[in-house]
Amino acid sequence: MAGVMETEEQARHRFQLELEFVQCLANPNYLNFLAQRGYLREKPFVNYLKYLLYWKEPEYAKFLKYPHCLHMLELLQYEHFRKELVNAQCAKFIDEQQILHWQHYSRKRTRLQQALVEQQQQQPQAPSHGNTTSK
Amino acid sequence: MARKPTKDKLLSTLDDIEVLSRELIEMLALSRTQKLPQPGEDTDILELLVQRDREFQELMQTALEQGRVQQEMQALEKEVEKRDSDIQQLQKQLKEAEHILATAVYQAKEKLKSIEKARKGSISSEEIIKYAHRISASNAVCAPLNWVPGDPRRPYPTDLEMRSGILGNMSNMPTNGVNGHLPGDYVSLMFIFANVFLLSLLDILTPQYPWQSADVSMGILPPHHGNDFGLEPPGHNKENEDDVEAMSTDSSSSSSDSD
Repeated sequence: MAGVMETEEQARHRFQLELEFVQCLANPNYLNFLAQRGYLREKPFVNYLKYLLYWKEPEYAKFLKYPHCLHMLELLQYEHFRKELVNAQCAKFIDEQQILHWQHYSRKRTRLQQALVEQQQQQPQAPSHGNTTSK
Repeated sequence: MARKPTKDKLLSTLDDIEVLSRELIEMLALSRTQKLPQPGEDTDILELLVQRDREFQELMQTALEQGRVQQEMQALEKEVEKRDSDIQQLQKQLKEAEHILATAVYQAKEKLKSIEKARKGSISSEEIIKYAHRISASNAVCAPLNWVPGDPRRPYPTDLEMRSGILGNMSNMPTNGVNGHLPGDYVSLMFIFANVFLLSLLDILTPQYPWQSADVSMGILPPHHGNDFGLEPPGHNKENEDDVEAMSTDSSSSSSDSD
């Protein structure tokens, strides 16, 4: 492949561009937008997506703020996924699931806190048992 | 040249003896009644008889020797069989040993491979914790505790964030809004893989969101690529597309993709 020599400045700028672009892929609405305009059908774009897989390496991945984009990038390698993204319902479904998954940890935390509160409410009812059996 | 078997020779000699002795007895019986027709015949027959007897004795000796030889042969054959079975046993054991060793070697190699893999992917726990802090602090992987439906925050960059980045300011193409997002700025994002020379024309804009800057001063650069993504990456045997900007409207070429 013919390589154009780029300056370090240009390379750094390209780094920023690609960083932004790859993280935009975490947005299912954006993916739907791309699919509907036919960009996902173009061979150069598919090759570019494959090239972007370098963001999975740890030395590059540490710059990503929205890690969901890596999963989307992996899914985008499959043609079936790219075809499905043309449907708005598909994008909406992905969006909903993504947001639900996003809330998973906070839901788990609230559940744990509720369980802890319930446990503390039960404890004051049984201190006498502990005193008699402590010997 | 086939030698006559000893058995046949013995039997034929016996037949001769039988014939000769019968003749002799007939002659003796005849000589009682009449004179010998030929005077020398009885001596001839007797000589022949003696000769045949001698032959018979020799043949018996030969037969005895042959019997002995036959016994030796049988003993040797038994030896051979025993040795043969020993060799087969050893062969089986050797094969088993080889199989066990091959398995052991294979498993050892697998283990080495996994060790290599683990070593390759090792990252200091400090870095991982730092990264975990970064992505959690901005609510990128975990929803804020007070999030309710209607909150504009999302686990991905929203269009507001996208527009205010470098990509969003690369070109201004007004188009209609779709689903509440303005795609006009999205379109501009598409040119980054086709127009490398644009990069040299742009000024470096100061990023407004931390996800866009990412410590560029650390000197990490994106992997170098031939700027023409229209060409197939090496290893594929498909048609080359020389003109990057020509949009491929031929859907059959993408359906023949084998991923």
